[in-house]
Parts: sequence; C-alpha cells; structure tokens
Amino acid sequence: MTTLWRALYFVRTAADGLRSSPVTSAVAVGTIATTLVVMGVFGLALKQMSGIVDRVGEDLTVSAYLADSVDDAAARDLATRVSTVEGVASVEVVTRDEALRRFEGAAGDRAGLLDGLVENPLPASLEIALAPSERSEAGIARVVGAIEGLPGIEEIGHGQDWVDTYGRVLGGLRAVALALGVVFALAALLIVSNTIRLAVYARRDEVEILALVGASRGFIGTPFVLEGVLQGTAGALLALAVLLAGFEIGTALLGSTLAFLIGHGDPVFFDGAELAAFVVAGAGLGCVGSLSALGSAWRAAA
Amino acid sequence: MSLAHGTSRQRKGPGDTAAPTPRPGVGRHGPPTGDEATGNALVRLYHVSKSYLPGAYALRDVNLAIGKGELVFLTGPSGAGKTTLLRLLFAAEKPSEGSIIIGGRNIARLSESAVPTLRRRIGVVFQDFKLLQRRTVEENVGLTLAVRGEPPRQVRSRAFRMLKQVGLQHRRHHAPVALSGGEQQRVAIARALVGEPELLLADEPTGNLDPELTLEIMDLIAAAAARGTTVVVATHDHSLVERYARRVLHLQAGELAEGAP
Repeated sequence: MTTLWRALYFVRTAADGLRSSPVTSAVAVGTIATTLVVMGVFGLALKQMSGIVDRVGEDLTVSAYLADSVDDAAARDLATRVSTVEGVASVEVVTRDEALRRFEGAAGDRAGLLDGLVENPLPASLEIALAPSERSEAGIARVVGAIEGLPGIEEIGHGQDWVDTYGRVLGGLRAVALALGVVFALAALLIVSNTIRLAVYARRDEVEILALVGASRGFIGTPFVLEGVLQGTAGALLALAVLLAGFEIGTALLGSTLAFLIGHGDPVFFDGAELAAFVVAGAGLGCVGSLSALGSAWRAAA
Repeated sequence: MSLAHGTSRQRKGPGDTAAPTPRPGVGRHGPPTGDEATGNALVRLYHVSKSYLPGAYALRDVNLAIGKGELVFLTGPSGAGKTTLLRLLFAAEKPSEGSIIIGGRNIARLSESAVPTLRRRIGVVFQDFKLLQRRTVEENVGLTLAVRGEPPRQVRSRAFRMLKQVGLQHRRHHAPVALSGGEQQRVAIARALVGEPELLLADEPTGNLDPELTLEIMDLIAAAAARGTTVVVATHDHSLVERYARRVLHLQAGELAEGAP
C-alpha cells in the first residue's frame, strides 16, 4: 500500500505544484509549446519535402524488355511472376502498341519521324515499380538480380543517373533533417530545462524542507518530474493546436501556391502516429528538462 | 581533563520534572568518558573538526557525548560553530576529521543515500521555522510521516494528535502565514516530534520570539526530553540556560570550552 500512497502523494503534490505557481507553469508550458511549434513547422516542411521525394521515387521504375516471342498472355503471366519478387511494388505490362503510343505522346510534334516505319520497332516491356524501401542503387540491383534470366526477359534497363540523383537528394535531405533535428532538440532541451530550473529554484524551500524531514531524492524529485511531464504534454497539445490552426489557415490562403511548391498533391498534416510521437516528445522534453533542473538543484544543494 | 557539566540551577520549566541526570562526557581532548562509556550515550563525537578552508576551522577537535533523553544547551557567540555542529549532527555536512556516532552508527561515513534514513530519526527546529507556506499546518506536520510512506489517514490522525499536544489543533487547516511567530514555531516543533525522533536538534528555536513565547516553546522542547528524546538546543539566550539548568556545551571559536558560559 505504501507504493499506492506514495503514487497518490506524488500526483497530488505535482498538481498542487502546478496550481500554486500558475505563472511559472504557464511560462514552462508556453516555452515548451513555442519550442515544439518551431520543431513542428520544421517537421511539417520535412514531411511535405518527403512527400515530393516519395512521388519522385514513384517514377523510379525498372523496365524489363520482353522478347518478340512473348505474346500478351505470356507477358501477363510473367508480370504476375515478377510481382512476387521482394521489393517490387507493382508491375505494369506495356504492350508493343502501348509502347508506340507512349513514344508518340512523348515525341509530340516530332512524332512524324515514325511515319516511315513499316513495323513497330518497340518491344513489349514490364514496367516494374519499386517499393519505397528498394528505391536505391542496392535495391534496384536486388530486384534486377531476381528477375534477370527469367524466360522471356531479354534486357533490363533503369535510369542510373536518376537513381543516383534520387539517392543523393534523399540522403542530403535526411542528413539535413537529422542535423537540424538534433540542433532543435538540444536547443529545446536547454530552454525547457532552464525554465523548469527556475520553477525548481522558486520552490527550493520545499526541496530543503523535504530533505530535512528525511525525504529521499526520489521522493522529492518525482513530483517535479511529473510536473515536467504534465507541462510537456500540455505544451505539446498547445503546439499541435497552433500548428493545426496555422496549417489550416496556410492551406486555405496559399493552397494553390503550396500545391505548386510541393508538386502535385495536397499538403498533409501529421498522421496519427506522428501526432502521438509529438505528444510523447513534449512529455519527454518536460521529463528530461525536470531531471536536468533537479540535477542542478542537487549539485547546488551539495 | 575536566568535563563540561550542566549547572545545577533552579528548575522552572514544567517539562523539567522528569529531566535526566546531567551527563558527563564532554571534553576537548581524548575520547569521552563517563556514562557514555557504558553505552548510554546516543550521540558521541570523537576528535571532530570541520574546516572550509585549509587551516581555518569552524570546529576543532570536538569530543563529546550526549546521553539518551538528555537535554543539553549549546552556547557560544555568533560564529563559534554552534550551527556547524548541529549541521554535522543531521548530516547536512560531513566533518573534515573525526567520527560522529549516533545510535551506534558513524554518520561521518554515511553515504548520501543513507542520509534520509538517518534524518527520519532526527527532528530539527530552526529559528526561521522552515514551514511550507503552500501547505496547511496539518500537512506541514504530516510531512515527516508522509515521506515514510504512511497512509494519508494515519498521517492526518497523528498530525492532529501532535498538533493537539502543542495546542494548535484548531489551526490545522490554516496556512502557516496566518499564524503568529510562536504558533509557527510550535508547528515546527510538532513536525520535528511527530515522528518520535530519538534526537531533537533546535537551532536558536526562540531567537525570533518574545520572552513569553520563548518559555512556551522551551517548555515543549523540555517536555520532549522528559519523554526520552535526546535534545540539543543551540541558543544565545543565557536566561534560558539558567532557567532550565541543564548541561551546557559552550563553543568558543570552534572549540568546545569547559563548563557553562
């Protein structure tokens, strides 16, 4: 039962702490919210950029050119077989006639160049789209290795330059995201920790008196950490509200501009898992900030 | 080596009726002697020194023994080391040299994690009360029990009984700031005693109070000693020392002097 009483005591003390110092609590929540709004804007921008990169990646296909002897039915059977290969997202059969139509469409005004041809020179092919995880040089090599030598497949082609560029853009984006994310997280931690340190400092009498009557560090510190978690969660929820409002207003006012900037497709907000991660990040920020602030308080007391 | 004994002046405090016999066992050099040698001492200091800077001693080679249930006064001018000695006794600081034995355990070697357990056996009262202004009187008194994990109902009930003993049960739901200085010090004493400590340390407990309230507070402290709690009261107030007629430990420039001030 002692554990239960302690848990109740901690919750009650944390709630009392928040109630008794509303200004300090509001400053902490506001600081966490501001920090998370900045991180959230960055996260949303990254998400839109990832969307662009994903859509570009969808154009990354492997073309398996079929022998002339492969008729449409055999091509469909081959497509079914290729679609079972790991890393293949979808397979489209492009018949010789379809290939010609696409060429004419792409050639535009110069389609007349084909007028002199007696026979369609283009082979039928399988257009193989890759799963997002395989959109890399290594992924393509794996898929090519798996389908190479299948009966009916004469040649395999893919845009190496395209793959290299895509890989570089994706890698660069991830590196920038990681670096900025780390910088933002450290800055957020520093700001939040200092804000909570002020809150702990404002209640140093409580820390001193509890230590005097025989409270352990865990007993003294737990309500402060709980307060940090509550403040972090509240800050995250507030930040999400601000971000959502900003997102809705932004898309309403700049919808067409944004659509142009991010390519085809609408801007997207965080999904369920990302929202949960955002709130957990806020709570974690509050928790780590409190622990860091308490660490300083102990060192000062010592 | 002569020892610092309590003087045998006239008793006036109501809490003095069951006062224990003054103990010997205080000296500047060599281990304590007297009753503590028989194991009757709760607190023993052996060659205890405390310095914050090399060569500058706040306390120097202090040896003493305080018997179980004994009330002693710790006197001396400001800066003599009274507060330092009390802080060593409740492990707020560690001595630079020497051993401090409380209840058979050398607290000079206590690990940081063991300090809370020691403090649950010690009650401490300060001149400035050190009450939590955001908590009620009852919650302040109950803190001592709450940190031990006692159920809330038991905490409230014991805090109420303790407040009744100090005559403040009717003020239990008030904030400390609503109480007079004397009442706040009674709350502080109630908080220090509610956990039935073996040792009560009081640092100038009446320093902020008028003479009438001073006697009221000292009577409560003396009553705790009469019930078996070992009590050390640091004070400047010579009239208190004379009135309660107990053993006096006089500190002068960090050294324990002999006899009464």
